[in-house]
Amino acid sequence: MRPVRPPRRGARLWLAALALWSGVAFAAAVPAGTGAQAAHVAVHHARLRWLPGDLPLAGYFELSNTGQRPRRLVGASSPAFARVMLHRSTHAGGTEHMVHVSSVDIAPGKTLRFAPGGYHLMLMKRRHGLKVGDRVPVTLHFANGRGLTVHFAVRGAGTQ
Amino acid sequence: MKGRWVAAICALGLLAGLAGCGHKGPPWGLKDISGLMPALKFTLTDANTGQTVHAKDFRGHLVLLYFGYTHCPDVCPTTLSRLSRAVASLGPRASDARILFVTVDPARDRIADLKRYARAFGPEVVGLRGSQQALRALTKRYRVTYGYGKPDSHGNYEVSHSAAVYIFDRQGEARLLARPTDNAATIGKDLARLDAER
Repeated sequence: MRPVRPPRRGARLWLAALALWSGVAFAAAVPAGTGAQAAHVAVHHARLRWLPGDLPLAGYFELSNTGQRPRRLVGASSPAFARVMLHRSTHAGGTEHMVHVSSVDIAPGKTLRFAPGGYHLMLMKRRHGLKVGDRVPVTLHFANGRGLTVHFAVRGAGTQ
Repeated sequence: MKGRWVAAICALGLLAGLAGCGHKGPPWGLKDISGLMPALKFTLTDANTGQTVHAKDFRGHLVLLYFGYTHCPDVCPTTLSRLSRAVASLGPRASDARILFVTVDPARDRIADLKRYARAFGPEVVGLRGSQQALRALTKRYRVTYGYGKPDSHGNYEVSHSAAVYIFDRQGEARLLARPTDNAATIGKDLARLDAER
């Protein structure tokens, strides 16, 4: 086996700059648990609320921008669902609405909560059966072309 | 003289935004709608049994009336689980209450879907479905609004609907209004008080 030589200094700087700029790791991180971290973006408390049949499900999580630059979430996808959309529930004049959101910006140092009654993922058309306790990979896509894959825990219908 | 005092106290109470003088006791945690909304009245299909049910079939139970639809992954489950926790807080008296989930999307919500959806939130949740005509009559009665968005390329559409939850006493009289900002503990406390009424 040949020893791997460290990259030249210039290349190292270039790689570091690119990592800073991209805000996410080169390879999508898939750690255990419902939290995931990549350079400058961290996801915690990732969970899906199970519903019966093939009804659309809501996904919730906390997205933190730990970097110096704004981040823009532009979508999500999962091998377990045909379609995943960014949605937001709004409440106006005593009426509940649900709207499709094309992107969500997170300022440096801020955490955005995807939580019941507000921002959420809407996951549609299951590709296989799901039950409470399963873990489902979901990739969050950012405007810079990078993705972060997080395992969402499938929780019961009463999940908050 | 005494009557004048009572009137003055009532006027002060109303000015301060407190509950009216219709019911005795301390103010409720939820909005008191006693006398402001008509008694419970409907004829719909019970998703659990597939049979026609009337409001009078629920007499003797505390009733929580909520309107939604099953293709609603966020707000409806959040509300139903909040109501379910409020009812569970009654302990052994939880079976005195029924959460009626009336679909405002009868075209898409088949009886079987509605049954499974309601069951997922607890044994006291009852899915109800009616024709557009029956639904209109009920929503008009409680000034509940709903509307359908434009279907997308996949045929999915959003349904907007009122967030309000109406609570009726054992006699079917409208008593309280729960809003999205009212948590399970507040709802549970008022339910316990209603449940203790004779």
